[in-house]
Amino acid sequence: MSTGSVIRSQQQHKVFVASSDESKICVVMVGLPARGKSLIAGKAMRYLAWVGIPARVFNVGSYRRHATPQPAATFFDPHNEEGERMRRAAAEAAMSDMLNWFRTGKGVVAILDATNSTKERRKWIHESCRDADIETLFVESICDDEDLIMNNILEVKTTSPDYKGQDPELAAVDFRNRIRNYEKAYETIDDNEKKYTYVKLINVGSTVIINQIKDYLSSRLVYYIQNLHIKPRSIWLSRHGESEYNLTGKIGGDSNISERGELYAQALPRLMRESGVPANTKIVIWTSTLRRTIQSARHLKAETGFDKLEWKALDELDSGVCDGLTYEEIAEKYPEDFAARDEDKYNYRYRGGESYRDVVIRLEPIIMELERSENVIIVTHQAVLRCIYSYFMNVPQEKSPWMEVPLHTLIKLTPRAYGTEEQRFKADIPAVSTWRGKGSQAKHQEFPTEGKEAQH
Amino acid sequence: MDTLLTAEIVANSPQFRRKSSIFVDAIHDLPEKADLAPAQLYSTESGRLFHSGRIVIITVGLPARGKTHMSVALARYLRWLGVKTRIFHLGDYRRATIPFGEDMPDDYFYVKATASSVLLRQKIVRKCREDIYHFLNHEKGQIAIYDAVNPLASGRRSLAKEFAKHDIETLFIESWCDDERIIEENVRRVKISSPDYVSWSPEDAVKHYLNRISSRIPQFQTMEEKDLNYIKMINAGERLIVNNRSFGYLSNRIVFYLLNLHIKSRRTYFVRAGVSLEADSYKADASLSEQGEEYAKKMTEQLLAHRESEKQEMIDRGETGYELRPLKVWTSTRRRTVETAKYLYDRGYKVRQRSQMSQLNPGVCEKMSEERIRAEWPDEVLKHELDPYHHRYPRAESYHDLAVRLEPIILELEREQNDLLIIAHESVLRVLYGYLMACNAADIPFLEFPRNEVIEIIPESYQNEASRIHIPDLPEEIIPDSPEDLKIPVPPSGGVSPMQGLGSPLEGTSTPISGVRTPSGVRTPREPERISQQHVEDVV
Repeated sequence: MSTGSVIRSQQQHKVFVASSDESKICVVMVGLPARGKSLIAGKAMRYLAWVGIPARVFNVGSYRRHATPQPAATFFDPHNEEGERMRRAAAEAAMSDMLNWFRTGKGVVAILDATNSTKERRKWIHESCRDADIETLFVESICDDEDLIMNNILEVKTTSPDYKGQDPELAAVDFRNRIRNYEKAYETIDDNEKKYTYVKLINVGSTVIINQIKDYLSSRLVYYIQNLHIKPRSIWLSRHGESEYNLTGKIGGDSNISERGELYAQALPRLMRESGVPANTKIVIWTSTLRRTIQSARHLKAETGFDKLEWKALDELDSGVCDGLTYEEIAEKYPEDFAARDEDKYNYRYRGGESYRDVVIRLEPIIMELERSENVIIVTHQAVLRCIYSYFMNVPQEKSPWMEVPLHTLIKLTPRAYGTEEQRFKADIPAVSTWRGKGSQAKHQEFPTEGKEAQH
Repeated sequence: MDTLLTAEIVANSPQFRRKSSIFVDAIHDLPEKADLAPAQLYSTESGRLFHSGRIVIITVGLPARGKTHMSVALARYLRWLGVKTRIFHLGDYRRATIPFGEDMPDDYFYVKATASSVLLRQKIVRKCREDIYHFLNHEKGQIAIYDAVNPLASGRRSLAKEFAKHDIETLFIESWCDDERIIEENVRRVKISSPDYVSWSPEDAVKHYLNRISSRIPQFQTMEEKDLNYIKMINAGERLIVNNRSFGYLSNRIVFYLLNLHIKSRRTYFVRAGVSLEADSYKADASLSEQGEEYAKKMTEQLLAHRESEKQEMIDRGETGYELRPLKVWTSTRRRTVETAKYLYDRGYKVRQRSQMSQLNPGVCEKMSEERIRAEWPDEVLKHELDPYHHRYPRAESYHDLAVRLEPIILELEREQNDLLIIAHESVLRVLYGYLMACNAADIPFLEFPRNEVIEIIPESYQNEASRIHIPDLPEEIIPDSPEDLKIPVPPSGGVSPMQGLGSPLEGTSTPISGVRTPSGVRTPREPERISQQHVEDVV
């Protein structure tokens, strides 16, 4: 969501900046350990950052770790006064950092990731936020499905810094004891807290209670969280095969794929198999409405019989007046624009066209749909692919428009509990490079394979 | 409302396909062409959205809990999304079955009703269910909304079982209220306007109505059936409980929509952007011309004056201390829309730019005359004339593309509690108006928004009402609509049309009221929906 207008000062026009009316929200996670709180917090943050809403996770555990890096389960016993005092101090430190972050004016959504398991603690959070004019949204994750909890425990004992270097079996026992200690004092959100805005997710969303949602941003977050699922799946990303425009260095257009592009289209089914598709897996093919992506997915569709959807939202970034021009021609005809784009490529909007920010906004429904879906291959365009890739791999806005996504390469993304795994498969069919470094000459060039200096 | 007339029509149209010219809207009448839905994401063989099968949404709740309001809003949204949806009000079937003038038996809703009442009940429900099956099985329907009280858990379970046998999913939506004020407000707004209560005082009428409900429907069980898919909406959206056994795309979408739906009394205003310096160029993104500036000023003055007069009217009506809701302004990121908001911004109104609200992209047709388009793209012109809503010129967007792009705006529009002014290109106004007024997709490209009018949309109980406020003293040449008609896909949103003979407005007309095709080929659509006249209120 844009918080202001991007103004091209070199053209005479009356300038004023539209205001932002984003309210500030503190998302407060609630739940016992191993209920997927951090997973939800991490994904929500990535999603918000991607749509341009400044978001940050404040993990109370990491504050507590300063003082007690690897505490035993007894530390979490509510009757352990020393432990209680230190945990309280960690919560206060996290809260104070969070309020400071909001005070800088840069923050819109903070996610307070901790168990926040008592009413007293929640009341304290709610009041502290209220005094600072910040809305609270409690997100409670409840789970009584033993298999799900066990899965989470396995994940935690192998990844949590609390158990680093410890015997996994002992870690699991200790962790279960820790959970038991939390259970002693755990109070679920109930009717006495009905004035709060909250969401309760019971067993990964099989029952959801949504209370007192007051603004659109919260409803969007709730919708997002509701669409998350934890079934294993992969997402494949590919640009279209080399196009006729690629050969001449022109941008935009709706040209056909070149001969080499056709070779890539033919190779795509094989490339998919090589990347590893589990048996009996249904994959849905998504393309844009432009010829080059439809042609590129043609053989894949014919050979596999997978369902295919064409999305207008997957069309390439609209380069407005520059559509059909080469970078040299743009630099010559619109020198100021060319320079302005290098200055801030993410926000630069082609005259009469789009910016990367605009593309992200139009891709949001696609991301929602991707979160809901299982296996999908997306055949699309450079800028769009950069945006989708950035969502999954958490690439910051300054970097995403400069990322190299070569032609004739299949990218496979597999979401894991903490992060996304990436594999690339090259088709070994030559193609021109369509990458151009920041501040470099007005033409496509080879992406520097060694040293990332050129990739700002 | 005219109960007699509508009851007759209901009785005479077995499947509620009201074809009378008086009763045309996009909620109760499906367009002839099944694929004409404003924001359909993609079409399929079956006519159904890809991810979802057929669903019956079953409402649960006592009268005056906002079931029908919710059903109609949901149908409007789903239709707009491209999901073929129809509402089946059980009350309509009851009235069609029980002869006019006769009352329904006293024990109609009782658990232990007499045999004759049970038989009558079964007959009515069966008839309604048959129509639902017909709609889903033979008319490519995807969602049927079954609007009834459904007070008992046992009845709900057997409904779910019955539909499951036909491979139809069920989603129950309960409207539950324990806030007396909401119930009384509902009764006041939609129930006691019936002829039965003509000479009653509102307080007595409300009391009488509520007493009748509780004696008529003595037993009501709120939903607790963990084996069913349901959404329980408590106190008009204060809380939602979602019991998700097998929610698909659409069911989740519905939750999101319901989260943002509220019963609102806020106003939405639409105005065009001012005339820009390079009006015939889509790509130029030019600033306002002098005339455009002048327009912005006059529009601002007229709008603010109108709001003041509305406030005065309320105060005159005895609403002492009446305050206007704050006004927010949304523009696109296009310069001329942003600049049109300038005077409001200067007066301290909040202005937000929304990139989704950019005008329809004309693609290859930019700056082309009709003649040239015809010469260069004869096949495209033919296709365009067949389906101006869905057809997309090369590299251009169709209205349909635009609607899909605007969907997030629609949800935020539902959520917004303040008054809202939208300044945008005519193509964007058409689509947003099309949603709010439930227009048929086929009509949307022909809606007209001349520059000398502010469109004001006021929510009424089931539908929205639109009115037009004249902006005086504007130069003639900047008033006309964008001449976007069958032949010219997306010319500029300019004042003076570069195309000969198309720049002038249609004689004397500017409001979308008649369904007549004018000689120039520009068609103004029928007046949009009139839902409240169609659905007969359930007076228990």
